[in-house]
Amino acid sequence: MGFEVETIIKIAAFSGGGIAMGLGAIGAAVGQGYTAARANLAVSRNPKISGDIFKSMLVGQAIAESASIFALVITILLLFVIPPSPGLLDAAAYLGAGLCMGFGAIGSGIGAGNPGGEACFGLSRQPEAGSQLTTNMLIGSAVCQTPAIFAMVVALMLIFIKFGGAALTPTWAALIGAGLSTGLAAIGSGYGGGLAAGASCEGIARTPQSVTSVTTLMLIGQAVAQTPSIFGLLISFILMFKTFPESSLLMTPMALLGAGLCMGLGGIGPGIGNGMAAEGAVRWVARNVEHSSDLMRIMLVGQAVSQSTAIYAMVVSLVLIFVV
Amino acid sequence: MGEIGILSQLIIPFFGHDITINIKVVVMTWLVFGILIVLGLFARHKRSILPRPVQALGEFIVSVLYELTEDALGKELAQKYAPLVCALFMFLLLSNWVGIIPHLEEPTRDLNTTFGLGLIGFCIAHYAGIKTKGFKAYSKEYFQPIFFMMPLNLIGELAKIVSISFRLFGNILGGSIIILVVSYLTFSLVLPPFLYAFFGLFVGTIQAFVFTMLTVVYISVQVK
Repeated sequence: MGFEVETIIKIAAFSGGGIAMGLGAIGAAVGQGYTAARANLAVSRNPKISGDIFKSMLVGQAIAESASIFALVITILLLFVIPPSPGLLDAAAYLGAGLCMGFGAIGSGIGAGNPGGEACFGLSRQPEAGSQLTTNMLIGSAVCQTPAIFAMVVALMLIFIKFGGAALTPTWAALIGAGLSTGLAAIGSGYGGGLAAGASCEGIARTPQSVTSVTTLMLIGQAVAQTPSIFGLLISFILMFKTFPESSLLMTPMALLGAGLCMGLGGIGPGIGNGMAAEGAVRWVARNVEHSSDLMRIMLVGQAVSQSTAIYAMVVSLVLIFVV
Repeated sequence: MGEIGILSQLIIPFFGHDITINIKVVVMTWLVFGILIVLGLFARHKRSILPRPVQALGEFIVSVLYELTEDALGKELAQKYAPLVCALFMFLLLSNWVGIIPHLEEPTRDLNTTFGLGLIGFCIAHYAGIKTKGFKAYSKEYFQPIFFMMPLNLIGELAKIVSISFRLFGNILGGSIIILVVSYLTFSLVLPPFLYAFFGLFVGTIQAFVFTMLTVVYISVQVK
């Protein structure tokens, strides 16, 4: 096609920015809606403390919004970015950054609505536990943002690191694949982390004295639920920093793109599944504190099994990168 | 914005191989060691029944971590592993906090540090597993549920090191990159103090705790 390099870079940056903000707006809105719905339920159950519930809802929604704010930051950067030495690889990097941040914000946004909503509902049931609930909600929903933060980091790296010296043909696919890998894998982990955080707020409202075990188990559960997104980050780093030899075959770039897609899509399910395992364990620890170590062990074993599909995806991605 | 991805390295040629040392990371790690040792000496200095502030702080940290280890491992094993857990947590906490001081860098921002610590935890967990269950029962677990699942179980076990070390590394590196980019865009005027508090103190504390707890939990899964 007869476009100049600058035009192609602008096309990629603008469409990347559009994708980042467009997809990034999905998650937070759903999460905030859920928080508001639970807050309504909470007010109707216990109208006397509607002021506290309202405050708690706003705080929860503000945190749920942060994933979208990350997307907004990346979008603004993409709209105004000017590469110092323009090359076609910059176009691929900008498109990858947009895809990464757009997909990466979905899960954390939806997930972070959960602890907010459950904290509001818990407040109506157990107003005295208000401070523990708020602390727990803040920790839970902040940890929920980790996958979105990973996505933002990969997007920033794609925008600011100079890939100019690398061979164009396989590297363009590697950069888009790097974006897709972290971005897609963050969906499941973000949502799964939110499930665990929501269950912990519900559990603390039920038995406030179990707060230490519940918060500890929530943090471990969320950390393990984030494992698929960490695998995604690993594949992204390999794709960004490995130098690929120049090749004229179509096969090589497709393998790299496929590696990113494989890890990204393969990470969604295990993230949600791990989150569900953590949700169940956290919810029942609150009702049965004495058996918290048994529950934790079963949760970890269950998560390890549900995670094995993410490990298959990682192995296939590594094979696609290093062998094919 | 060139700072992202640049390391200060010392490269020593050694019989045809290059030995690479990341100087800044080594210096920062020793700085953290130094602070911890000084704090420990202060906490020990003039011990009394009525503790002074530093002693009270030390006792608080140790007793909280000791109880957490005891919950996960039981009384007997906790005696053996609690010192490791305390040391790991305090090192990680201080490492993650050190970055909020200008010109200092978190040692945990380097993958080598976190990977090394993950490897230590992995080796200790498997050593504990072999020691309590015996080698036969230990190796049998890899052939569960059917024998040909062995390679996948092995990869799953190795993936634990990757996930534990990349979790800490990604969080700390991510925080510092976001701080760098935001300070660059706002000319260090608006947000950074708040961001330092969030990523340095809050995320740093949580990730240090998660890393430590996961190490304990990996040990407890192997032991039981």
